[in-house]
Amino acid sequence: MKILGISAHYHDSAAALVIDGVPVAAVQEERLSRRKNDAAFPLLSIEWCLDHAGIEAGALDAVVFYERPMLKFDRILTCALRAFPRSWRAFPKAMKNSLGEKVWVRGVISSYLGVPARKVLFTEHHQSHAAAAFLTAPTPRAAILTTDGVGEWATLSIGLGARRPDGAASITLLREVRFPHSLGMLYSTFTAYLGFAVNEGEYKVMGLASYGRPTLVNEVRRLIRRTADGAFALELDYFEFHTTAQRSYSSRFIDLFGPPRSPYEPIDLQTAEGRRFADCAASVQFVLEDTLLGIARALRQETGLPDLCMGGGVALNGVANARILAESGFERLFVPPAPGDAGCALGAALYADRIHFDNPDREVPDHPFWGPAVDGSALAQLAHEDRQVCDELDDSELIDRTADDLIAGRVVGWMDGALEFGPRALGHRSILAAPHAAEMRDRLNRDIKYREEFRPFAPAVPIEAADRYFELPPGGARLARFMSGVFPVRPEWRTRLAAITHTDGTARLQTVEQSMAPRLHALLESYGRRSGIPVLLNTSFNLAGEPIVNRAVEGYSTFRRSGIDVLVAGRTRVVKRASSAMQQEKIACSRSVAR
Amino acid sequence: MNHSGLSGYPRCKCRARPRFLNGYNPSVADFLMEMMRILLRPLHRWVWLDAARRARKLLCFAETEADGGRHLVRAAEVTPDPLLRRLFLFHARDEQRHAELFRRRGAALLHALSAPPRCGYRADWLAPGERGLDDLRIEELEDGALLAFLHLSEKSAATDFASYRDVLQRDPPTRAVFEEVLRDEAYHMNYTLSQLVRVSAQRHRLLLWRARLSRLWKGYLRVAIALAGVISGLVLTILYFTLLVPFALLAKRLAWREPTGWLPVSSERNASLDRQY
Repeated sequence: MKILGISAHYHDSAAALVIDGVPVAAVQEERLSRRKNDAAFPLLSIEWCLDHAGIEAGALDAVVFYERPMLKFDRILTCALRAFPRSWRAFPKAMKNSLGEKVWVRGVISSYLGVPARKVLFTEHHQSHAAAAFLTAPTPRAAILTTDGVGEWATLSIGLGARRPDGAASITLLREVRFPHSLGMLYSTFTAYLGFAVNEGEYKVMGLASYGRPTLVNEVRRLIRRTADGAFALELDYFEFHTTAQRSYSSRFIDLFGPPRSPYEPIDLQTAEGRRFADCAASVQFVLEDTLLGIARALRQETGLPDLCMGGGVALNGVANARILAESGFERLFVPPAPGDAGCALGAALYADRIHFDNPDREVPDHPFWGPAVDGSALAQLAHEDRQVCDELDDSELIDRTADDLIAGRVVGWMDGALEFGPRALGHRSILAAPHAAEMRDRLNRDIKYREEFRPFAPAVPIEAADRYFELPPGGARLARFMSGVFPVRPEWRTRLAAITHTDGTARLQTVEQSMAPRLHALLESYGRRSGIPVLLNTSFNLAGEPIVNRAVEGYSTFRRSGIDVLVAGRTRVVKRASSAMQQEKIACSRSVAR
Repeated sequence: MNHSGLSGYPRCKCRARPRFLNGYNPSVADFLMEMMRILLRPLHRWVWLDAARRARKLLCFAETEADGGRHLVRAAEVTPDPLLRRLFLFHARDEQRHAELFRRRGAALLHALSAPPRCGYRADWLAPGERGLDDLRIEELEDGALLAFLHLSEKSAATDFASYRDVLQRDPPTRAVFEEVLRDEAYHMNYTLSQLVRVSAQRHRLLLWRARLSRLWKGYLRVAIALAGVISGLVLTILYFTLLVPFALLAKRLAWREPTGWLPVSSERNASLDRQY
C-alpha cells in the first residue's frame, strides 16, 4: 500500500511516503525550495518523494493531510467571535488567510496531484504527532504525550500506543487540553517578549535560560495555573495571541515583567536589563519543565508503562525532556527526529497505514535519513570549475584526512548520504569542529553561523564512549540518539570540552551508533585516536536565516560564503584557498566584467 | 548636490558615461525618472524626516537586502555558468553586508529614540526599498532573463537610494550608509549588464524589455493585490460589525461555560479519517 503524508500551510511543510508500512522518503519543503520554514504546499517534496520511489501520483492508495482544516477554521472563527470586538483587526486577516487555500485542502491536493478526492484523508494534528512519536519508536507499548502551540483545538494530548502480538497497532488519545490554554503558546509568548522570532527563536530562549536564574517563577506562575484535574490553564488577561495578530502578550504582561526586548538590541548579560531577560527565560523554562513533569508523572502512574513517546514542537526542548526522563518515573523516553509539524507528514501516513487501513505493524528503521542523497561528483565538478583544491579519496583515507583537518583546528562541512528529516543535523549535513576550546565556539558563532554569543553548540560522541564524558541517566543514550536531551558534561572534562559545554555545564549531545551513521562514527573514532577524546562539535550545516543544505551545490555555496575551511561530500574533499587567492578571484571576476 | 547623472548614481560612477549604459538610449526613460525624482523629493524629505520611521524603514530595507542576498545565493546554486556563479556569490555577500549596514544604522536610530516607537505609518508606497527580487522564481529563469531582471532591479534601487541619500543631509551617518550601498549598486548594475551581453549577445535588448514589462506587470499585480486586500478587508470588517454580532454574543456565552483542564477525546474522533472537521 502506498500512502503519502503531507503537512503544510502553517510552518515547516513536508511530505513523506510510506510503502507497505515502511517509510521510503521524507523531506521538508524548505530543504528543496531553500526558503527557511517554508509553509507552502510541499509540491517539491511530494515530487521528490514520488520520484525517489519511482511511482506516479496515480499509484497512491491514499494521501493523508496532517490535520483537519475545517476544524482548525472552526477554532480560528470561534476565537475571533469570542474576542469580539477586540478581534476586529485580526478577523479580516484570519479570514483571508484561511479562506484562500487552507480550508480547501481536499480540492487542492486532488487537483495538484490528480488523485480522486475520496483518496484524500485527514488525521487530527495531535494524532499525527502521536503517530510520528509512537509508530517510529521501538517499543511495544507506551504512553504518549504530545504538546505544541496548537493544532486544531488541542494543544496537549495524552494517550496510549500499543502493538499487539497479532501485528495490529493502536493509538488511543485519552484526554487533551484545548486552545487557548497552551504550553507552546506560553513559551512562544516569552520568545516574542524576549525579541526572538516565534516558531524559530524558541531554541534561543532555552539557550538564554542557562544564563539566568529562575527568580521570576512566581510571576510566571501567575500566567499559568494548574487545574484541579492535573492539567493547566493560562490566565488569558496576560495574553493577546488568541485575540489579535499584533502581539502575543498584553499590557498586563508588560506590567508584570517590564518592557519587552527590542529584537534589534543585543542581549548584554553584563547589564541588569540583559540579566532580567535571562531570568525571564530561566523562569519560563522552569515552569514549562515543572508543568510537563507533573503531567508526565501522573501519566506514568496512570498507565504504569515504562516507556513514554513524546511529540509536538515542545518535545524539541531538550532540557525539559532530560528532566522528564530523570524525574517522571518513565524508564525510556522516545522523541522522533522530527517531533514538530514536519514530522506530522510521516505520522499521518503511518497512522493511516496502521490504524485506518488496519495494516500489520512493521518495524520502522530507527534513523532520520529519509531525504535526498548527496552527490560527491557534483561537488568535484564545482570545485574544478572554480579551481579549488579538490581530492577524491577512498573512505578510510578521507576519514583520516578529515580527522587531521579537525585536529589542526579546521572547520569541516560534512555531507554524507541522505538528508536528515527534522531540524537537527545528525551527521549527514553537519558542520564539524574540534570541541576543546571556547575560541572555536566563538569563531563558529562569529564567522560561520553568524548568531548570538550565548547559543551553545552540540557534541557528537560514539555511543560506546558517551558515558565517559557525559552524565547520562538510564535511557539517556536513547534520548540522545536524535539530540533530544540535554545532559551534564562530566566536570573533569568540561575544560577540555569547552566549545560544547554550555554555561551551566550541560550539552545537547548526540550519541552516534555505528549502525545509524557509520562514517560519522568512524570519523569520531579516528579523531579520538588522534586527540584522545572521541567527541566532535556538531552543528547544522547552514547559515543564519537559511535552511540546512541539501545538495552538494548548496553545501558548496555555504562553504564559499562562510569561514568553513574544508568541505566533504561523499568521497570528495575540497579545501578552501587562502583569502589572498579569493581576493584575486574577485579581482579576476571584476576584470572579466569590465572586459 | 553631490551626485550627477541621469538616475542619481554616485558621481564617481556617472561622471564618465558608464560603459554599461552603452548600447541603449537613456534619454527619454532616464529623463523621466530624473524628473520624477526631483518632483518626489519633498515627499521623500517628509518620509525620512521622522527618526522612528527612518529607523523602521532601514530595518525593513535590511530584511529586503538579506532576502535579496538569499535569492542571489540560490541563483549562484542553479546557474551552470561558473563565472556567473562566482559573481552571484560576490553579489550575495554585498547584499548581506548592506543588510547589516541598514540593520546597524536602524538599530542605532531606534536606540537613540527617547521612547520606543509605536507602530506608525512606514510610507512604503512613497519610499520603497529594493524589492525587485521579492517574487522572483530563480529556478524558472534562464541566466539571461535573470541578469536582465537583476540589472533593472539594481538600477531602480540605486535611483531610490540616491533620492533618499539626497534628502538626508541632517543625518550624515544614514546618508553614509546609502553612499556605501550606492557604490556597490553601481558595480552590480555594471556586471549584470555586461554579463547579460555576454550570455545573450543577440537577445540582450529583448531580455531587458521583457524584464521591464515583467516589472511593470508585477507592479500592477502589487497594486491590484493591495487594492483587493483593502476592499476585502473593508467588506470583512463590515461583516464583522454587522452579521457577526449575535454569533459573537453566543460564542462568548458558550465560552463562559467551557471547562478548563482535561477534556476527554471521544473514541469517534480516533476512528474516521474521511472528515475534514
